[in-house]
Amino acid sequence: MGILALVLLVVYFLPLTVFARHILVLTLFYAFMGTGWNLMCGYAGRLSLGHAAFVAVGAYTSLLLFSHFSLTPWIGMIAGGLVAVVVMMLIAYPSFRFGLIGPYFTLASIAVAEIVHYLLIYGRDLTGGSLGMSLPYVKETTIINSLINLQFDGKEPYYLVILGFWLVGLLVTWKMERTRYYLEAIREDQDAAAALGISVNKNLIIAACISAFMVAIGGTFYVQYFRYIDPYSIAGFTLSLNMALVAVIGGSGTLFGPTIGAFLLIPLTEILRMTLGAQIPGLHLFLYGILLVVCIIFLPKGIASLPGIIRAKKAKNDQKPENQASKGVL
Amino acid sequence: MLLQIIASGLLLGGIYALVSVGLNLIFGVIKIVNLAHGDFLMMAMYGTFFLYTVQGINPYVSTLIIFPAFVLIGVLIFRLIIKPLLGKAETEVNTIIATAGLGFVLQNLALMLWKSDFRAIETNLTGKSYEFAGIMLSAGRTWAFVVCVAVAVLLYYILMKTKVGTHVRAVSQDTEAATLMGINVNKIYTLTFAFGIALVGLAGVILTPTFYVYPTVGLYFNTMAFIIVVLGGLGSFTGALIGGLIIGLIESFAGVMASAELAQVFSLLIFLIILFVRPQGIMGKSARV
Repeated sequence: MGILALVLLVVYFLPLTVFARHILVLTLFYAFMGTGWNLMCGYAGRLSLGHAAFVAVGAYTSLLLFSHFSLTPWIGMIAGGLVAVVVMMLIAYPSFRFGLIGPYFTLASIAVAEIVHYLLIYGRDLTGGSLGMSLPYVKETTIINSLINLQFDGKEPYYLVILGFWLVGLLVTWKMERTRYYLEAIREDQDAAAALGISVNKNLIIAACISAFMVAIGGTFYVQYFRYIDPYSIAGFTLSLNMALVAVIGGSGTLFGPTIGAFLLIPLTEILRMTLGAQIPGLHLFLYGILLVVCIIFLPKGIASLPGIIRAKKAKNDQKPENQASKGVL
Repeated sequence: MLLQIIASGLLLGGIYALVSVGLNLIFGVIKIVNLAHGDFLMMAMYGTFFLYTVQGINPYVSTLIIFPAFVLIGVLIFRLIIKPLLGKAETEVNTIIATAGLGFVLQNLALMLWKSDFRAIETNLTGKSYEFAGIMLSAGRTWAFVVCVAVAVLLYYILMKTKVGTHVRAVSQDTEAATLMGINVNKIYTLTFAFGIALVGLAGVILTPTFYVYPTVGLYFNTMAFIIVVLGGLGSFTGALIGGLIIGLIESFAGVMASAELAQVFSLLIFLIILFVRPQGIMGKSARV
């Protein structure tokens, strides 16, 4: 992890084009979001396709606090994260309590995101409805002020901010995996973990809340970076799906899976969008969809499982003569 | 006024039920969530649209072309995408992701081929309505409702009275036991998937005269279809019909009394409560969770 962070820090000093920097920021953003998603969904084996609900809650909370009370987004993102945790509790507690699993959980998560989506449109007096909201632009002269307002003119500072978020996200996952939350044990076998005295539901709810908190913070970053949000883009199904996709394609339930997925999918989509999007609208997403289907069919456990598969194949090839020998003995 | 709201709610519910019947079949028998369901609906709507505008074929007649075509597409999609994913630990997650990817493919194919314009066709039923005891019924939706009831009756007959129907129900209840009884599960799966896709194709045909067609029209119907399937109960067709009618009524009442957004929120909340309290749905026999 340290080496990867160092490499990414070195990248910061490279003379890159604006477009390349934008791709890097987006990639790290999705790596962070996927890591947040993974904390709950990858480990608990419950596929949420409604995490955009928490992103939207975080984004709108910090943006409203900033535009009405000029509250710094740093505090706003904590506030947004806490609101997201409350929303998550409302859904996670009954879900785990009533043992909602499989497709039922996925459908419930989609419904929650849709509810948030429609409420944002309904509350148009406050949220601007479908038209969305822009971030009030503050022209800053000192670096301290732009840091407080989390608004920068270039893309470089955003890169550092999201790099930091992503690192913290990985650390949190790593800690949750190894220490007293026993996420690894729960992922491997929920019943066995429960039999060993691990309170599965409590740990899952804690993981779910941290997951919601993380993606809500990502929501604040989204507002600060794009300076505009609307219910469709931030609470819509596409964002939920993208978070899940980077994690699943990379390898859900693994520490680096979402990051691997993001580094493969995001630059690819952005480059496809840049090169093909202008000529034939839709072609880049068409190709993206085909890639997803092919990836899932051939690597059902994600890219993170690839080294394991290769190793297993090698081992199998090596073992073949031995097997025949042992058969002869028998 | 009250009767009018109830009548239009029921008609809308009939359309929703028709859209969700195919999903219910696939969800109930193969136990997979087909997130591209609404996108198949969209493709069928485009198909009907172009058969009418280019070839001049009446939307209701184009069923004869769309239905068999969608059976073939269903078989193809099942063989290529769904079958390789079945029977693994990750089947649930992966089929959802794969069908979501398929949805991307279909939506953007439509966007590439036909742009994002809203399209509608005018038939001899457009804008017409029947008056019945002071209640106005939109002609297009009335016919959609009639087709929906006919499909429900036909499906009930096939599932309950024919040999294939018995096989499908057996596979739905217990795959292993069905295999032991000599039922070709793979064949039943293929058949169910193809038929489910063809049913949503039929729904698309019926919807075209009364709804706009655009590349993401499927997303709107997708959520609704899932709500109805869960509300009514897995694999229960009477359930799907009742679920559709309930949602149609909620939408038309809340739409009149509050706003369109609150109507959606309200049906989603009911959906969540049903999920928590009675995941087998209103008409479902036992929880298959």
